[in-house]
Amino acid sequence: MEMVSSDEQMVERALSGDPEAFGEIVRRWERRIFALAFGMLGREEDARDATQETFMAAFRNLRGFRGEAKVSSWLHRIAVNQCITRQRRAKVRSETGLEDEAEKNAAVFALPAEISPARTAEGLERSVAVRRAVCALPADLRQVVVMKEFEELTFQEISDALELPLSTVKSRLYTALRQLQMRLQKFGEQVG
Amino acid sequence: MQTTNERPVCHRAEDLVTYLYNEASAAEAQDFAGHVETCEACRAEFAVFRQVHESILLWRNEALGAAFSPAPQAAPVLAEATDSRQFVRHARKLPALAALREFFSVAPLWLRGATALAVLLLCVLGVLAISGSWNKQVRVASNSGGQKTYTETQFKNEVAKQVDKQVSDFKKSQTQSSTNVVVGSGVRTTTQQNSPRRELASNRALSRSQRGLTRAEREQLAADLRLMPGRDEEELPFEFPDEPNQ
Repeated sequence: MEMVSSDEQMVERALSGDPEAFGEIVRRWERRIFALAFGMLGREEDARDATQETFMAAFRNLRGFRGEAKVSSWLHRIAVNQCITRQRRAKVRSETGLEDEAEKNAAVFALPAEISPARTAEGLERSVAVRRAVCALPADLRQVVVMKEFEELTFQEISDALELPLSTVKSRLYTALRQLQMRLQKFGEQVG
Repeated sequence: MQTTNERPVCHRAEDLVTYLYNEASAAEAQDFAGHVETCEACRAEFAVFRQVHESILLWRNEALGAAFSPAPQAAPVLAEATDSRQFVRHARKLPALAALREFFSVAPLWLRGATALAVLLLCVLGVLAISGSWNKQVRVASNSGGQKTYTETQFKNEVAKQVDKQVSDFKKSQTQSSTNVVVGSGVRTTTQQNSPRRELASNRALSRSQRGLTRAEREQLAADLRLMPGRDEEELPFEFPDEPNQ
């Protein structure tokens, strides 16, 4: 029976020239990184690009990986940085007028690619409001919410990935939930 | 307890989120559950946060698919893993029955009615088509004009009728010919004398094809066709071989 290698062992194999080792790391973490990117960016297309950039950056910096941290934490930090960078670039484009009005609206109101044919207008509005509320959160709160809700990580895993104290993660999530609730009320949602 | 944004806030905020996401140990959960019963702020926030949590999950499921799970897959597929753009398609696949149930649960009334009517109509058409095919006569033959079709029974009856008719005609003709014709005599009959030459020739040709002609018959045929030399034609070099076509 073949033993399953750990992420760290796969990195070592990739560094020693095994061409398939990094592919295995991608396979293991692609879904979670995509979920994180989607929650952070709110658009599938952006999330796809950010995920691809995350793994490309990880591959380029493979030699810089220190064995002290877990591979998952390392990948999460790269992904969060990629998402924040993309948002900054988008903001600059928007402020300098490089992004036209239609693209700007699409960034806010873009619908998910997979829409159920039976979706009601109410459900659609609700999802749009939630997405806008999450995207409007400050980055430090948003990444905790996304890691919890989209990646379903435990508080301890988030703490490890972000290198934050456990209590900080919990208090950030609590603050994020309060802000979301207020924003959803502001958007007309009857959440509270 | 302090007040923020016109709502009381309890100091056990961290315990609240731990409890909300089911990460509290059994003892912690029991302790916080007891606290919620007495703390109005925690009870209200717990209800609100749970709704926010459910709204986010709803958005996530709609965006990424209900079956989306961020956990990595068990079976390694390296060919797919190397292409980092392949994984992002998380199609929302529902079983047909579940999709139908979802459709009927959220579709407007008129759409439900129209769909039910369409299904009913389809069923009626299906039943009519099936019953029609049962009652439909099996076409086994048609007449030369293609106008009339026969069922198997009709076809058999018609064949039997025609066979009987042919047999009776044949018997009748046999009876007539036995009175008028001396078989194999080579003498022309009354009937043959009265019939047109063309009919005689065709009859003889038929019999010739079956058994060949005797010499007497050939001479008779030649006489009928005026091929025998007359008195003024005796010098012509006609010869009749014993066997035709030689």
